Amino acid sequence: MILDLHTHSVKSDDGRAKVENYCQWIKAKEIPIDGFVLTEHRQYDFESDYSSLEKKYNLLILKGSEVETEYGHVLIFGVTKMLTTKLDFSRIDLTLRDVIHWSKACSAVAVPCHPGRPKVGMFAHTDRLGIPEGVEIVETLNGGSRDEEDKVAIENARSLEYKGIGGSDSHIVSHIGRCATIFTEEIRSMEVLVKELKKGNFEPISLRNRLK
Amino acid sequence: MADKTIKDVEFGEELPVFVPDTSLKRASVFASLVGWEGPRFSDHEKAREEGLPGAMVPGILNQGYLTAMIHQWAPNSTLISIDTIFRAPVMADEEHTMKAIVTDIDEEAQIVELDLTLANEKNETRVLGTARIKIAS
Amino acid sequence: METDIEELRAKYLKKDFDVKEFPIIAEKTIRFAELCGETADRFLDPNHKDFQASPTFVGSLAGSRLLPSDFPRFGIGMDAGKGIECFSPVIPGSVLTGKTHLHDIYAKTGRSGRMIFIITRIEFYNSERHLANSDSRIVIAEKQNGR
Repeated sequence: MILDLHTHSVKSDDGRAKVENYCQWIKAKEIPIDGFVLTEHRQYDFESDYSSLEKKYNLLILKGSEVETEYGHVLIFGVTKMLTTKLDFSRIDLTLRDVIHWSKACSAVAVPCHPGRPKVGMFAHTDRLGIPEGVEIVETLNGGSRDEEDKVAIENARSLEYKGIGGSDSHIVSHIGRCATIFTEEIRSMEVLVKELKKGNFEPISLRNRLK
Repeated sequence: MADKTIKDVEFGEELPVFVPDTSLKRASVFASLVGWEGPRFSDHEKAREEGLPGAMVPGILNQGYLTAMIHQWAPNSTLISIDTIFRAPVMADEEHTMKAIVTDIDEEAQIVELDLTLANEKNETRVLGTARIKIAS
Repeated sequence: METDIEELRAKYLKKDFDVKEFPIIAEKTIRFAELCGETADRFLDPNHKDFQASPTFVGSLAGSRLLPSDFPRFGIGMDAGKGIECFSPVIPGSVLTGKTHLHDIYAKTGRSGRMIFIITRIEFYNSERHLANSDSRIVIAEKQNGR
């Protein structure tokens, strides 16, 4: 089961992709992913229901969030109403400690994304702020990475024994599926995704070369 | 390129690659035309003295290139909107390529949506965006 | 000092702070189109029956000011993007009225640290109708954390 765990739609301020166009694109270009997670910036989209698109395109479409902390951006999988009352997702000055604490408390998983990136990546801050407690997974393959950003992520993750996920960080339709995560188990819901992330049964994969 | 109808357009179709003129000379002439005088678009050395990595191509010139690329592909199309996000500077005198891909077709409304990207030689996306155009049936 | 985005939004959004007239000169629109690589006669030939400025030309038209005169100064703005909406062609020889307002203000963090994004919109009108919108997305590095 392959999922792109980091995508943005028009719900994000800098997202320009409609969700149905993502689905059409995946099918038209035969991108070998089985679904994707919409991780909109600084919010959780409680309203949208993509079940009809899931059926129409035979894809899994899940929802998460990308929030902002002093250690950079963090994906959250398994967001609940309770979690959004504990963390104000709209803030850009959340603490990673709070994000990890409340995510765990609400049965969600927090994953620092593009950690090798200057300013918005976790490893840009660890020299100054120290290694944060509670991180177990980071995004080691990000479709928007430049230069050595993924290499920095992979090397640091390896030395700190973090597991890695992959996501395209797509903001436009044609960028979905550049990176993804392969799971050993079948995933059909956010609950199962969270469970599998906690179990560690996954690996990041890059599909960039396939898409060229 | 011949005129197109909406039925000629295919989902996922890639427009012919367009290599924009990112020379310092072109950037400088364009900046001067639109009243943006100053070293950031005309002089690498002085731009660096201002703390920039070098002279850049004006964002609206890049947007103009993307629009011209669409018009060359579909000469009879009418631009409804174009939205470009400048993710990183487009450095003058460095080679860049533009891509546009059809990502939505509404035959009834005769509207086509395109993803737009401008990337440098390292294939880093410097500008990305979308456009909506109208093409008659 | 932390910038209160909600306060800025309440005070400045959707309120015109500049009105300016823009004579559209054919020589300039043609040169603009040429430099952008346009090859269609309707943008290059003043004798063409549909002679008009290329659609992104309005993006080059700047109002008298980018931000309201009393807008707080908390850093140097950088060009983060440009959006154009076209409703009707802009005809050389005409005079447009551009009305400017702040369309959106929000904060986020990016590769360059904590940023405030400001979208300034110029709405262009001729004597009959609303022809186009030009959005300039400015990003300003903020010194301290904020909402």
